[in-house]
Amino acid sequence: MNSRENALAILNYEKHTALPVVSFGYWPETTEKWCKEGYITKEESDSYIHEGDNSVGDQSIMKKLGFDFNWNSCIPGKNLFDPPIPGVVLEEKEDGSQIIRDGFGLICRVRPGTVSIPEHIGTALTGREAWEELYLPRLQMHADRVNREVFAALPAPADRSYPIGFHAGSLIGQMRNMLGVEELSYLYVDDEELYVEIVDTICGLGYEVAKGVMETGVTFDYAHFWEDICYKNGPLVSPAVFEELIGPWYKKMTDLFTAHGIKIVSVDCDGWIDSLVPIWLENGVNTMFPIEVGTWGGNIGDWRAKYGPQIRGVGGMNKNVFSRDKKAVEEEIERLKKLIDLGGYLPCPDHRIAPDAKFELVAYYCELLRKLS
Amino acid sequence: MARFEEMSLLLQKGKAKDLAAMVQEALANGTPAKDILNESLVVGMGAVGERFKKNEVFVPEVLIAARAMNMALNVLKPALAESGVEPVGTALICTVKGDLHDIGKNLVKMMIEGTGIRVIDLGVDCAPETIVAAIKEHNADIVCLSALLTTTMISQKDTIEAIKAAGLRDKVKVMVGGAPVTQAFADEIGADAYTSDAASAAERARAFFA
Repeated sequence: MNSRENALAILNYEKHTALPVVSFGYWPETTEKWCKEGYITKEESDSYIHEGDNSVGDQSIMKKLGFDFNWNSCIPGKNLFDPPIPGVVLEEKEDGSQIIRDGFGLICRVRPGTVSIPEHIGTALTGREAWEELYLPRLQMHADRVNREVFAALPAPADRSYPIGFHAGSLIGQMRNMLGVEELSYLYVDDEELYVEIVDTICGLGYEVAKGVMETGVTFDYAHFWEDICYKNGPLVSPAVFEELIGPWYKKMTDLFTAHGIKIVSVDCDGWIDSLVPIWLENGVNTMFPIEVGTWGGNIGDWRAKYGPQIRGVGGMNKNVFSRDKKAVEEEIERLKKLIDLGGYLPCPDHRIAPDAKFELVAYYCELLRKLS
Repeated sequence: MARFEEMSLLLQKGKAKDLAAMVQEALANGTPAKDILNESLVVGMGAVGERFKKNEVFVPEVLIAARAMNMALNVLKPALAESGVEPVGTALICTVKGDLHDIGKNLVKMMIEGTGIRVIDLGVDCAPETIVAAIKEHNADIVCLSALLTTTMISQKDTIEAIKAAGLRDKVKVMVGGAPVTQAFADEIGADAYTSDAASAAERARAFFA
């Protein structure tokens, strides 16, 4: 059995011959650092930075480290803004920073030389007028949103060495990216009608794109959403609102995937996601990713005890040990062993590997994990 | 008779404009500003904080309540100043050097303000020397340092070292928080307090003035 077959067998509680070693990529600064240290080439680093997960560079870096494949090996439809919202510089500051409007319409301050998430200071989505002028026309369905050539070029399942997923986009995370957490919260109180209209527009487009892709006849091994709608103390959206407005759209989309033979549907959501997990499960999302361990101790074991075998997981490996020493890696492997024994679970670093990671410790983790097979 | 409970409930539901109007009406009817603050706004924000700690409400509910609180406070401030009501103390808050992620910081700021402490927001990506200068300028009692990333939490330690070096460590209480921060890390770097959520941070900050 190859990595694809083993991964799908494990997530479906079937017999397998080996445990695949799964990756979730790296920060760009991490590959740049490893390049300077001589572990990888500039071409590999640049390829990863510019082309992302599963690029030629990523494949090469994974091989050097000992990973089998990247769970984020997903092919998306075009369910974002089309045409894109043009990024514009709104103001140049004396300190060298710039105030920009980004591709989601967010107003951000960008500081030269600072490595972090951009500083969000506002949004162009200030009300219905802005919505109808800048956003709504760019969220309409059309045939070009389904790139048939890309899907037609995918290898047939029997020829794949790793699983290939359909990236179904986001049902609420994109709206968060357009508004920011604070304005997202305020909008529900200030203009519920507009809030619902935005949700239904984004989700409706996501569904139409997914339907178009499924109708091309391509076979996917899994479907994958991203949301990133939680933080260390829980969700950034009210679970009640999520259940009422977003839940039905998840159900509609996962029903579509099921009808096209997809059994594994994962969602990428960082943070402490426990209060959203039952809503996802109820609406057909059965695999949590990347299961951030965080300070709250996220792990598949607690969910399995609560929800049974319907919940699967990919992730849950505390990547912070990559900045420590071999003993820390060995202890993490010991912790993971018990979770692997539960079945339906693939260990994977619980987020992209950060620049404080030592290349040799990541390779050591891959080596030890492979020995568990 | 002021409708304290009604105002508290409006705050908890995030009905900012309705709350501000009712506060204005209460002031016009002669209700002391201090009573409106303590009997409705602080009570309402406290209720939200308690429910937040029990995971009965989440960030959106806290944000809308805090926004309502701030809007009502803006109406109350002139009357509070006129009647001689002063903040119990001053807190500085910021994200540390290298960290631009400020949602947690903003939440903590709003919750602390709700306890009657004046909060000076230094913004994001604050270098230790900026924080030291601000402590002197504002005669701060508390410094709250936020870090989202494992790669920036070390700046909390650098800041505490800078405060020590400036001879100010005994004058201010240092609180730390953020996604990767733990009590063990707070102890290791010599912080006075670590709290895991915004409501607990507000409680702890207020307790420094007990």
